[in-house]
Amino acid sequence: MGLQTNGLSLEVVGREVSGRPIPGKPRRPAGPYLLGLPALLLSCLLLVPIGVTVVEAFRTDHQFGLGNFAVMADPAALRAVGNSLLWGLVAVGLVVLGFALALVSYRLPAVTSFLQPALVIPFAVSVLVSGATFRLIFDPTPERGTVTAAWSRLFGTSPVWLGPGLFWLVLVSAFGWTWLGYVVSLFRAGLDAIPDDVTRTVAAEGVTGWRRLRVLEIPMLRPITGVVTLTLVIAAVRIFDLVLIVVPGSMQGSADVLGLNWWRTSRDDSGRTAALGVVLFAIVAAVGVIGVRGLRRRRWAMPVTVVPPDRSLGRPKPSKRVRRIGWTFGFAVSLIWIFPALVLVATALHAPREAGLRGWWSMSGLGFSSFAEAANIGLFRALLSTALIAGAATVVLLVIAVPTAYLVAWGGLPQWLGRVVMSVFVVLAVTPVQMYAAPLRDAIGATGLAGSRIALALVHAAAGLPFAVLLLRSAFASAPPALVSEALQGPARQSAVLATVQRTYRPALVAVAVLEFALVWNDFIVGFLISGPGTTPLSLVLWGEARQFSASSGTVAAAAVVASVVPVVLLLSFWQTVVRGLTAGSRP
Amino acid sequence: LGAAATLLVTGCSSDVLGLRRSVRVAVSWSGQELRAFHRVLDGLGRLDYPVDVVPLGDDISTAFGARSTRRPDIVMLPQPGLVPRQLEDLEPVPDEVAALGRARLWDELLVQNGKTYGVPFKTAHKSAVWYRPSVFREIGVQPPRLWADWLALNQTLTRAGITPLSLAAGDGWVLTDFLENVLLGIAPTVYSGLATAKDPRPSRQPQFAAALRLLGTMWSAPGALAGGVKRSLVQQFPDALVEVFGHRRAAMVLASDFAEPVVRSFAADLDDIDLFTFPPLTPGAPAPVVVGGDVMVLPKPTTDDARDLVRRLSAPTAADPWIEEGGFLVDGRVSGYSPELTRLAEQLTRPGELLSFDLSDRLGRIGDINGLWRVLTDFLINVGGRGAAVVPEAVDAAMTELREVEV
Repeated sequence: MGLQTNGLSLEVVGREVSGRPIPGKPRRPAGPYLLGLPALLLSCLLLVPIGVTVVEAFRTDHQFGLGNFAVMADPAALRAVGNSLLWGLVAVGLVVLGFALALVSYRLPAVTSFLQPALVIPFAVSVLVSGATFRLIFDPTPERGTVTAAWSRLFGTSPVWLGPGLFWLVLVSAFGWTWLGYVVSLFRAGLDAIPDDVTRTVAAEGVTGWRRLRVLEIPMLRPITGVVTLTLVIAAVRIFDLVLIVVPGSMQGSADVLGLNWWRTSRDDSGRTAALGVVLFAIVAAVGVIGVRGLRRRRWAMPVTVVPPDRSLGRPKPSKRVRRIGWTFGFAVSLIWIFPALVLVATALHAPREAGLRGWWSMSGLGFSSFAEAANIGLFRALLSTALIAGAATVVLLVIAVPTAYLVAWGGLPQWLGRVVMSVFVVLAVTPVQMYAAPLRDAIGATGLAGSRIALALVHAAAGLPFAVLLLRSAFASAPPALVSEALQGPARQSAVLATVQRTYRPALVAVAVLEFALVWNDFIVGFLISGPGTTPLSLVLWGEARQFSASSGTVAAAAVVASVVPVVLLLSFWQTVVRGLTAGSRP
Repeated sequence: LGAAATLLVTGCSSDVLGLRRSVRVAVSWSGQELRAFHRVLDGLGRLDYPVDVVPLGDDISTAFGARSTRRPDIVMLPQPGLVPRQLEDLEPVPDEVAALGRARLWDELLVQNGKTYGVPFKTAHKSAVWYRPSVFREIGVQPPRLWADWLALNQTLTRAGITPLSLAAGDGWVLTDFLENVLLGIAPTVYSGLATAKDPRPSRQPQFAAALRLLGTMWSAPGALAGGVKRSLVQQFPDALVEVFGHRRAAMVLASDFAEPVVRSFAADLDDIDLFTFPPLTPGAPAPVVVGGDVMVLPKPTTDDARDLVRRLSAPTAADPWIEEGGFLVDGRVSGYSPELTRLAEQLTRPGELLSFDLSDRLGRIGDINGLWRVLTDFLINVGGRGAAVVPEAVDAAMTELREVEV
């Protein structure tokens, strides 16, 4: 919309209404409470075992106290705690790096077209796969390891990359490779959601450079920073399978983290183990509380666009030069980022013997025999059972999370109860598996369901429930149900309301479904710790192969490729929607 | 589409749903060995129950957690020495196969209180050194007949520009196997004393320190280890074999009989493979033979299906598919193997040999990943390639570390 008179051009800029519409005082019928019943039952799967663990941690021979926490004086446990804290720092560093990358890609728009898929693929593959990939790349023999080969070509000799101290580099690279895409995508969505008029005002006032970053981008992105930091730090503190697959046996001790130490000592003494679990939980919960404070400012609500934005008022098209720089930069970064995936696929395409002797670049021994070998160890049966578990968990989760989220958003819960429910969900969302694994395992065993895939799917659904409810609630909060039904039935279909529903409900539902499916598909630790290793063979097949890592690298790579196809395709096809659902507030 | 649907329906039978209790077999194998075991299972014919193979790797001892319910139904225990320590978690094996557990050598571990608690599935000869005969021919040397010859041989090779040894220090059990051979060679009585002691204290045995000193002499020779200590530390067992036979960067590697399939599949020249057995430590003394193996044990409470599977796996022909692939010895059998393995099998069955079970399994906590494995890894770091002068100090450090573990 614009006016033009006598060379003077006037613009009319629509201002978006932002913030959650405030509902009137609701009536409080009891019926809606029933909606929360299934969620309560499902959550008990976690809540009761957590309670048992806490009690066990403080109980020493029929007497309550801090006796079990003496385990923290054990140098091995102390080192594990230290390493876990270090991982937290790594996560924060990664958030900063991701923010910078997102900013670059925002300022140089052409970057995105390449960067997006390159960043999504690593996020879609499991930790085990990315660990295996980086172990291949950093293999210590010059014939096999990419980095070792390049380094010895350039400098004559190469350090032993998986050796003492240096294995940290491999671990951190693998972790960064997995998560950076998620960080960049979320920040990017946040930046895109900054209303144009704000950007323009800031630009008109001549604020540029660091000051612009400080007054505009950082404050506007605070809520997303909260979400991102929370996910990453929790992922870092929970690290388990990455260390198992990357670090050679002789150095497992110095790479120990809390989660692993818990598992290694879990045969000794249940009180001690419970105490370790509580310590791990305390660290994660502390991070969670800080992260949630960031969230609260926004209350997970999103702006409602009443007037569709005028295309002509969008950001100015960048100059050709800027676009070219962006294009080159994006292409280069994407190449680097996609490289590990290429290494994995290329290794899988070599025969087992060739893959064990030479690197992925070797031209001999190409073929599919590694895939055939992988099929011999029961890969396809594993795929089927993993698909079943992931599918069942996703369906159960959606069926239970949707009514619960509706109840929390619009069910008219008293304010205090709403707060309690949300806090419980936040705590549950960050609780590490180690907190409930042991008692839950016993309970499942006692009911004779040990090794049952249904039991495992239920546990997965319970573990995914808190996050799903948090996400769906914020989506549902965007439009009151009465307004929606009116819009649907009313004579003049109120398209603005429906558009909002379309734009917020759907992405949130898709995000929950896709993420849950991918998460369960890629899971190692829940299946491994809860229902005995027999049940989730896909990740276990991989891990079993990886014991003699380089000799079976062809088979490992083939199994990893097969295991990754489903989540990669799923996330690549739904990524835009997932990001919209996660940030819940960015514009389409 | 119809075919796909049928496939899905049959696939989603109770077996996949996990409603039917499958027999879970925990194994420590992976790679080729794991595939070979799958072939053995396939060879058993049709079973009335599904079988899940659970590869637990070096962490297989976690299969006997304090939590009874997630235990596997059968554990292929690679440390037979753990059996006497885990008695309260185990059930005796079915009577029909108990005789196999009462065989020579095995009986001292598997028979407790008159009951048999395990059946040997696979026997391992842990005193074999695989080498490339072409290297020996080139220099004009013979496989060593004595420990001193071996040290001299290493020196000769190093002088000729050939790295003598490849060491898989990434796998702790490779290091303990090395030490056990030396200890069994110099002091069989100390060895058996430690193995049977209720509360073993290796740090109080001067012979233990002597064995470490001998070992240190070999490891500390400059240029003795392919890739140096750092590379050795990240090398797993098959990597060390590939180093010798694939990349030909070293001449010898101490490895068990089960190295055979790896050696053959990665060897650059299939005719350039041979082995010698660990030489005697002193003239006139018998050569040490350290024996290992995987025994089938039944964690409590067991099921009829699990017992049935043990019975089937104990059948004389059950392991044939694996024997065909190589790297598998059956207790008491001397035929059907490759020439190299036949030599090993004959040494295992010959009367009068100095056979003894792997010691580290029988030391409990002291022998495992946080005990002897770590002590020997540190010892290797301290001596590796630094010359004989550093050995006495490193031995002292190792004994001190061992004392700390024993507390």
